[in-house]
Amino acid sequence: MSRTGPERASSAAGAAPMIDIRHVRKQFDVRGGGEALVLDDINLSIAANQFLSIVGRSGCGKTTLLNIIAGLDAASGGEVLIAGRRVVGPGQGQGMVFQQHALFPWLTALENVVFGARSLPLAKAEKIDRARELLQLVGLEASAGKYPREMSGGMQQRIAIARALALDPDILLMDEPFGALDELTRIEMQQELLRIWEARRKTVVFITHSIGEALTLSDRVILLAPHPGRVARDIAIDLPRPRSRTDRRFNEFYEQIWSGLSS
Amino acid sequence: MRSGSRMGDAMWGLAGILIVLAAWELATRLGAIDPTIFPGPIAAIRSAAQRLPASVFLDNMAWSLFRVVGGFILGAVAGTVIGFAAGWYRGFGYFARPLIELLRPIPPLAWIPLAIIWFGLGEPSKFFIVFLGAFFPIVTSAYHGITHVDPSLIRASRSFGLKGLGMLFHVGIPASAPDLATGLRIGWGLSFGVLVAAELIAANRGLGFMIMNERTSGGSVSVIIVGILLIGLLNLVTDAALAAFIRRWIGRWHGG
Repeated sequence: MSRTGPERASSAAGAAPMIDIRHVRKQFDVRGGGEALVLDDINLSIAANQFLSIVGRSGCGKTTLLNIIAGLDAASGGEVLIAGRRVVGPGQGQGMVFQQHALFPWLTALENVVFGARSLPLAKAEKIDRARELLQLVGLEASAGKYPREMSGGMQQRIAIARALALDPDILLMDEPFGALDELTRIEMQQELLRIWEARRKTVVFITHSIGEALTLSDRVILLAPHPGRVARDIAIDLPRPRSRTDRRFNEFYEQIWSGLSS
Repeated sequence: MRSGSRMGDAMWGLAGILIVLAAWELATRLGAIDPTIFPGPIAAIRSAAQRLPASVFLDNMAWSLFRVVGGFILGAVAGTVIGFAAGWYRGFGYFARPLIELLRPIPPLAWIPLAIIWFGLGEPSKFFIVFLGAFFPIVTSAYHGITHVDPSLIRASRSFGLKGLGMLFHVGIPASAPDLATGLRIGWGLSFGVLVAAELIAANRGLGFMIMNERTSGGSVSVIIVGILLIGLLNLVTDAALAAFIRRWIGRWHGG
């Protein structure tokens, strides 16, 4: 069972983290011999319902770290715990949203969301009800019968979020989900995601290239430094939402992250 | 490559056919070509109808269609299953791919002597030749499709807990459908071609037999011409039906 009630999370001393990343290391074999160290001794505790962003340059291992949390990729050392249980694969309460929406093009919007619930022990009709509810949540109930190619990039990404939520996951792992969208759609989607997050309260790990995006969304921003990937900064963003990009403190945080990235 | 409506495109196509037919008819009437070896379309149809009753033409068409459908279904099923299996299971791929590549360049017609020895002159030898015509393009396209599934779809389905056969049936196979559909259409055209050729050589009914028989028995060139036109027409109509089926199957999500 991947579901963990709050009673279990709080039964440990203090507030047990939803995600506990302990000494995670990842190396790849390099063609022609040798090994490349991609992640070196990553340690992070992420509290339940926290919105955490990971920012870093290309090649710093952000996506690799996310895949390890997702159980899609195995760590070379260390471990990841979700609600106290060691991650050995997907389906332990992780819902994923990818950069390229990765919707199944042969399924309609509704069918894609139903697909997200496929591993749940529910009757087909219940899965469909749940999928319709989620389409409503992301504001696309009218597009239930559309195929991905008939939808805009923003709509596709909303469906992908609904699909990830269909599993009713404890945590939502998002790999640069808005990276391929135009600026206006991107800002809309950020507001949309915050609204969904308020409604459904998940622990979110959000990967992005954009400092502004991380600051708009997150309770906490992790700066990952490359070669090998390691935690360079861990910054709590204690600004009230909705956040303004012209706010003085927003810009101070921006400077702080930027100096961390360019150092 | 979009020009106007589907209806408009069809009108242009029809106009092209009519123009060629008219030029052909005119050329025979003006004496530009010798009508005893190449009669015009109207004369050919009239004299073919006088020589043989319509039931003979229909009977031969039915036999050809029966053989091509039968052999094609065998080739499509085998090609799809083996192509998917070779692409999905690496070990089986290593085993099967060289064998397929070795046999693929052999023209199906080169198998006719063996087919006669193995299966005799009856229907099984025709099915076998048609099978070969359909099998290779279909196995190749199925293999290509399943080895080129968008990796992000594989990752996404893994994140929903899919693996093994579940992933093959829910992701691998549907994602390969467009490639497979292309292979099916190529396979259908090839099946038709090799069948008629096989009937020319070794058959006692079917459209291929009918036109060759007219030639060897000193029959009518008109029957040969009408027979050839029927071969083209039958292929055209059935290919259009296959295309319509494919559009219904994947058109809405894949486009085209």
